[in-house]
Amino acid sequence: MGRYDVLVIGGGIVGLTAAIASAGQNARVLIVDAGINAGSNANAGSLHVQLQSRFIRLYPDQAPNVEASLPLYLQAVREWERLDALFGSFDLVRKGGLMLAEGEDQLRFLEMKARREEARGLSVEILDRRQLDALAPWLGPQIMGAELCRDEGKLNPLAANVRLRAEARRLGVEFLSDQVVSLHVDGAVVRAKGQGGQVHAAKQAVVAAAWGSGPLLKGWGPPVPSRAEPLHMNITEPGEVRINHLIQHAERSITLKQFGTGQIVIGGGWAAHDRGNASVPSVLAASMLGNVALAARLVPSISRLRVLRTWAGMNTTVDGKTVIGRLPAAPNIIVAVPGDAGYTLGPLVGRAAAEIAAGQPPSFEIANYGPSRFAA
Amino acid sequence: MAREPIVHFDGMSIPIKAGQSLAAALTAAGQRTFRETSKGSSRGIFCGMGICQDCLVTVDGAPNQRACMTLAHDGMQVSTQVALAPLMDAPPLDRAPPSRQISPDVLVIGGGIGGLNAAIAAAQAGAQVVLLDERKVPGGQYLKQSAVADEPLDVQQAEGQKLVSAARAAGVEMTGGVEVWGAFDGLLFLAEHQGGALVIRPRKVIVATGAYERPRMTPGWTLPGVMTTGAAQTLWRSYRTLPGKRVAIFGTGPLNIQVALELAQGGAEVAAVGEAASKPTRNIASGIALIKANATLALKGVMMLAGLRHRRIPIHYEANLVGVEQVDGRLAVTYRDSSGTHQTIVDALCMNDGFEPQNEILRLLGAEMAYDQDFGHLRCRRGETMETTVEGLYAVGDCAGLGGAPAAAVEGRIAGRAAAASCRDEALGDISGLHAQLRRHRAFQSALWRMHSPAPRTLTEALDETIVCRCEEVTLGELRQSLTDKPGHAGTMKRATRAGMGRCQGRYCGPVVARLVAEETGQPLRDHSYFAPRVPIKPISIAAILAAQEALDGQI
Repeated sequence: MGRYDVLVIGGGIVGLTAAIASAGQNARVLIVDAGINAGSNANAGSLHVQLQSRFIRLYPDQAPNVEASLPLYLQAVREWERLDALFGSFDLVRKGGLMLAEGEDQLRFLEMKARREEARGLSVEILDRRQLDALAPWLGPQIMGAELCRDEGKLNPLAANVRLRAEARRLGVEFLSDQVVSLHVDGAVVRAKGQGGQVHAAKQAVVAAAWGSGPLLKGWGPPVPSRAEPLHMNITEPGEVRINHLIQHAERSITLKQFGTGQIVIGGGWAAHDRGNASVPSVLAASMLGNVALAARLVPSISRLRVLRTWAGMNTTVDGKTVIGRLPAAPNIIVAVPGDAGYTLGPLVGRAAAEIAAGQPPSFEIANYGPSRFAA
Repeated sequence: MAREPIVHFDGMSIPIKAGQSLAAALTAAGQRTFRETSKGSSRGIFCGMGICQDCLVTVDGAPNQRACMTLAHDGMQVSTQVALAPLMDAPPLDRAPPSRQISPDVLVIGGGIGGLNAAIAAAQAGAQVVLLDERKVPGGQYLKQSAVADEPLDVQQAEGQKLVSAARAAGVEMTGGVEVWGAFDGLLFLAEHQGGALVIRPRKVIVATGAYERPRMTPGWTLPGVMTTGAAQTLWRSYRTLPGKRVAIFGTGPLNIQVALELAQGGAEVAAVGEAASKPTRNIASGIALIKANATLALKGVMMLAGLRHRRIPIHYEANLVGVEQVDGRLAVTYRDSSGTHQTIVDALCMNDGFEPQNEILRLLGAEMAYDQDFGHLRCRRGETMETTVEGLYAVGDCAGLGGAPAAAVEGRIAGRAAAASCRDEALGDISGLHAQLRRHRAFQSALWRMHSPAPRTLTEALDETIVCRCEEVTLGELRQSLTDKPGHAGTMKRATRAGMGRCQGRYCGPVVARLVAEETGQPLRDHSYFAPRVPIKPISIAAILAAQEALDGQI
């Protein structure tokens, strides 16, 4: 019999928040993390709510699932605000996001998108250039208009990760560095076997291993098609703080935001080079040049700032929808993998996992998000 | 009569000399504070070689310019750099200088003694060679050339002048003022030159980026007026500017002794020289080994020590800095030696506690490294021809691990010949003579450093308030606190504390963080223990990246 009530596999944002919620209800929690550090630890801090044009373009088949999940994103941002108030500051700012249009077609696309998002309860508005000038006068002259999504925001993930980790420690959560390679269920005990053969046991397990979840759950029912998407990011030296919004583009891959430190983070879906599970993904020249050059064209006033660092991290996609719920084949294993934009959804999904483990009704209706949907 | 040339600094008129750097002109005028940090402290010149990013000023409206790398021009408007520079558009691209794409046989990065020798050897062997250096004037740290067009100060500077002329005569295309900021697989290099992009796809590359100085981290080491010994030497040798009227020099190694003498000869009052190692007379065996390896260089060392004695400049052995404080615009330096604790008041404190290789390009391209316990830094694995484990990538001189200038020169000649022969599909020929020279120089270096104390100091006794990351102002106490979370890797500690996230990209705190984590985990240090290597190699403006993207449009 294990000493632990809940074994959390994966110490990223989902695992941390699941552990905090469980330990907050006096559960004994162990987090086992493989230390790859390419997920939450490499995140750039966007709080996404509106549909990302990047996602619609790259995964058109998954877009309906994301659209159906929009209310979840709204709720997730509120969960972030709750955590920020309790354990912050995470440097969380929620002044909205602007998705820019450089031509008539793009503006039409945004108008159509805004109507669909409004129907799902998002607070959105199409702005023309004159209205935009009042909010963001530093945009390039070619920008015709934008969709403003008031629900969006940004935070500093370094601050959030450090503070949430400290809170987990304070609650007595234990951390262990190991890569879980297989799961075994023995009556009321889940045993997770580590890379070196060590076994971690608990009454229940939460699989919060992002893109590693699919491979880990192999053989436990219909396969969870989690996919790693290696992405590129850049950060500048600090400058005068003027950019309040999360900036995106109607057609091209970019997120741009300014932290409270004055540093600007540029990312948004440019490819990085996946070097396998043993090391973090590496940076590609074309992504750095393309990503930064696009940022300079959209926001010319950042041109004199210098890029200090680039890095690469993993985004996880499944089918556009979060996977949360008990495994039908092993009810003491709970899967917790957010759909796209995992860092935004992470705390909500983590909390739901803890609620399920405690036998409580989860914070959102999980019926449509269970792992059994992958059955052919 | 023509007016004397000046720059305007925060409304003051500062006289300048032709060829002088802004940092030198401001220092000569007694200005020591160049920028303010976001936590409200002041910073000035520290490394003097473009890496620490603490001498930032605003020049003619352009923020965050390194004063040590910026040539002073008459009428320049210079101001103290505020922590958060205003956002403003860059000049339109059509006004930027044109971008260039080149594909030389051999690219040499770094115009110091190793790079110059490599470039000459490669060119003489028939290769088309391009040599790039970040400074406007080649020569590097050892041969440090004058930028203000004076006669050579001494044999060392004259030797450099000859080498630069020889490189020109051999047909080496030398470009100064080039910032190489990107190195990618397949040997693609991206650089910035006067605002334009330089794209280089060489067949072979010889990295000769040298080393930078390891500081002595002590409370107050970030104060304006505290600088590396090399920075003080550059002020004097390149710009004929003294770092201050009265100076003290602390750390370990022969550079401190040499610069103490040079500054004294230049008219500075050297209050104290502190050497961490024991008195050389206590180390007879190493002294004999030195003379055996190279009697001329050994004699040079003896002469320098005699020169200091003659000028009544005291060398304190087994001396350690305790702290530095600002007192009435000067620096109160507290140090301890075998006779007790002392304090001296100076205008400038110079420090050199050994060296760290500038191996960023080598690590980025994946060249194999091993940790050298004696010197406390990584050494690059190389074959007989100085080729690394990455095909076509050669490393010469201190960037591959500290070896000293004479060895760098010979390694340069070997790599230059080998790279050229490989380009031309020719046999290399006999290099056994060069290897014999190299062995002799390495024996000398090894004996020399046994008389000093090249391994990094442990921080066990250092105070919590000591700043370790000078960019993000992270203290040793914060790092110690973070160790209790068992970070397991330097990168994890970086994310938790912000140490290494600033403009110098972890060059100063990185090795310390890696060692702290290694002590905690008990794991031996290796390449992977350090912060992951990442582009850009130096901070690079978004405008310069845009220029490179336009130059390469669709080619990568």
